[in-house]
Amino acid sequence: MTKRRWGLFALGITLLGWVIGGEWVSIHALVPENHFIDALPGLSFLVAGIVALDRRPGNCIGWLMIAYVVVSYLGNWGNLQVPVVPAIGGSIGQQLGGAILAHMGLSYPTGRLRTRFERAVIGIIYGVSSVASLVILLAFDPRADGCARCAWELAPFPSRTAVLTANLVAQRLGFILVLLFLAAVWLRWRRATPAERRELAPLWVAVCVVCVVDLMGAFASPFPVVQPFAYLVWELQSLLYVSLPIIFLWGLLSARLARSAVGDLVIQLDRPLPPGELRACLARALVDPPLEVLYARDGLDGWVDAGGQPRSLPEPASGPRTKTVTVVERGGQALAALIHDPALDQGLVQAAAAAAGMAIANERLQAEVRAQLEEVRASRQRIVEAGDAERRRVERNIHDGAQQRMATLALSLAMLRDRAASDPAMAASLDQAAAELRQAIAELRELARGIHPAILTEEGLPAAVEALADRSALPVRVLADFDERLPWPIEATAYFVVAESLANVTKYARASGARVELSRCNGTLRVAVTDNGVGGADATRGSGLRGLEDRVCAVRGSFRVDNPPDGGTRVLAEIPCDA
Amino acid sequence: MNASIGAVVRVLIVDDHPGFRAQARALLVAAGYEVVGEAADGESGVRVARDLSPDVVLLDIHLPDITGFEVVQRVGGGPGRPAIVLISSRDASDYGRRIERSGARGFIAKAELSARTLAAVIEGTGP
Repeated sequence: MTKRRWGLFALGITLLGWVIGGEWVSIHALVPENHFIDALPGLSFLVAGIVALDRRPGNCIGWLMIAYVVVSYLGNWGNLQVPVVPAIGGSIGQQLGGAILAHMGLSYPTGRLRTRFERAVIGIIYGVSSVASLVILLAFDPRADGCARCAWELAPFPSRTAVLTANLVAQRLGFILVLLFLAAVWLRWRRATPAERRELAPLWVAVCVVCVVDLMGAFASPFPVVQPFAYLVWELQSLLYVSLPIIFLWGLLSARLARSAVGDLVIQLDRPLPPGELRACLARALVDPPLEVLYARDGLDGWVDAGGQPRSLPEPASGPRTKTVTVVERGGQALAALIHDPALDQGLVQAAAAAAGMAIANERLQAEVRAQLEEVRASRQRIVEAGDAERRRVERNIHDGAQQRMATLALSLAMLRDRAASDPAMAASLDQAAAELRQAIAELRELARGIHPAILTEEGLPAAVEALADRSALPVRVLADFDERLPWPIEATAYFVVAESLANVTKYARASGARVELSRCNGTLRVAVTDNGVGGADATRGSGLRGLEDRVCAVRGSFRVDNPPDGGTRVLAEIPCDA
Repeated sequence: MNASIGAVVRVLIVDDHPGFRAQARALLVAAGYEVVGEAADGESGVRVARDLSPDVVLLDIHLPDITGFEVVQRVGGGPGRPAIVLISSRDASDYGRRIERSGARGFIAKAELSARTLAAVIEGTGP
């Protein structure tokens, strides 16, 4: 047995003596009550307090139970009829017990008062009890109550009226204090998370017990032996008080019972888990459905979820509903963070994290790979978008520069041609120059269009594809079931899929026609280019189709080339519209 | 269009390239048009068109501030308003159906601009 347990054992024995001794004193003072029943609540609080101190050393509820035992049985020792003791027993014993019970209730199950209101309520209850105790201590003269052997008393201002008034005021205020206490309990319930509410259930039972006990107390008499019904009520009161510490102790130790769920967790983790299933297992074991698991990046300052998406940890506690973060470490290195309900027992969370250690390490590696893949994909998308932006800039420069100058030159040549009408040789030369210039303008326009199609910017995808079909050497039918604009990277990708596919059809397919279908379904753009040519296209050969596949994948799309048995080729790209 | 048959057609040129404006003015004047003004951007094009009430506005689609399509919307092409002819160094097919939806009288590629093509567009027989 450890030194601490020896200490608790000694404390238990001492308090046992305190309770039994108090009853012995009462028996010798001929107090008319059932001493066995009177001792039961004290013994119950004593055992529960010692167990609570042993199992939950950092929790003050154990000490409050011990304090309750000490204070409650002061009254019995007051029957000792030796100097001072009856006054102390009569004042403190009567007044402070309820305050300690209220403190126990509001600090359940953590042992801490959480809000300013709770602290104020408990402060007021202790304050009223202390003032009443002090008045009684100063004014109570047991000799006036028939204590013939009480030779010397503390009471410097003996006054039966003052004692009765203090008792009366304490009783009247007690009603308000009970209401304040119930309000604090109700506020806790309202602000509590689901897990906290589960933990608070024993508190509600305890509150009900106390209410029933106090209600019964209203019928009880200070001299129960002369009223048989009141005496029966008093006996019931005592028995109900026996249940109070048991309820509290059950609540305190329920986390220990929940640890059996960690055993189930170990069994569940003894098999390969699909991505994200670890979170579900931990949530089940800890009975915290919204629990989240984030994974530390390898060598980087950041966190990702199981899918590899970057996430950030919640801010440190700033309110009653703020989540708690428990960081799981291995060898001093952070592996994961469990974001859970603050009401969860920290030891239980640590136990679950330890049980899931290997699974957490595995899922972290998978999350790291997914995060890296996502980074590569995002990087590829940025490269494609940067390339598109550059193409747009080049096309704009051609339009603003060379095309403008060539258009102006064409006007100059036309004017010169008009003036040279009387000189046939000059007119012929100017006609030839104008024809060359028109050809150059047409070629430059086609080049600019290939770099970046202005119509795509101006009119959107369906119109741009229509224009492509119009310029195609083959008859191309375009079927589009939408007309609205899509994000630029999506439009550009789809356009280049159609442009490259139609170019391939013209060059290699020996087809007599082609069909382009553009459709949107469930947030996905579907682009299909079908021809009736010889088929045989292969996306793995030829840089054109492979480049298209890369481009489509860069926007999270899928790309496929089919060669149906009845001939022809179908290029199919599916692109999420929110990519 | 305000001009009556046989009267001199009054033209406003809106284009941000001074060289093109100068050549277009010379070409149109030589062909008997009266160029009543020039503007280098869309906002001043709208203002000058309202001030001078030309018969024809030769309007570049790509302007530094607003597009030629927006100028068409603000100046309007209905009765009593100037006939607006869009021009661009790009081809009409680069704009899809936007030109025909714009309310402009027609479109001429800049390199194709001449008195003949302009007259054809104004009379509704042009490209």
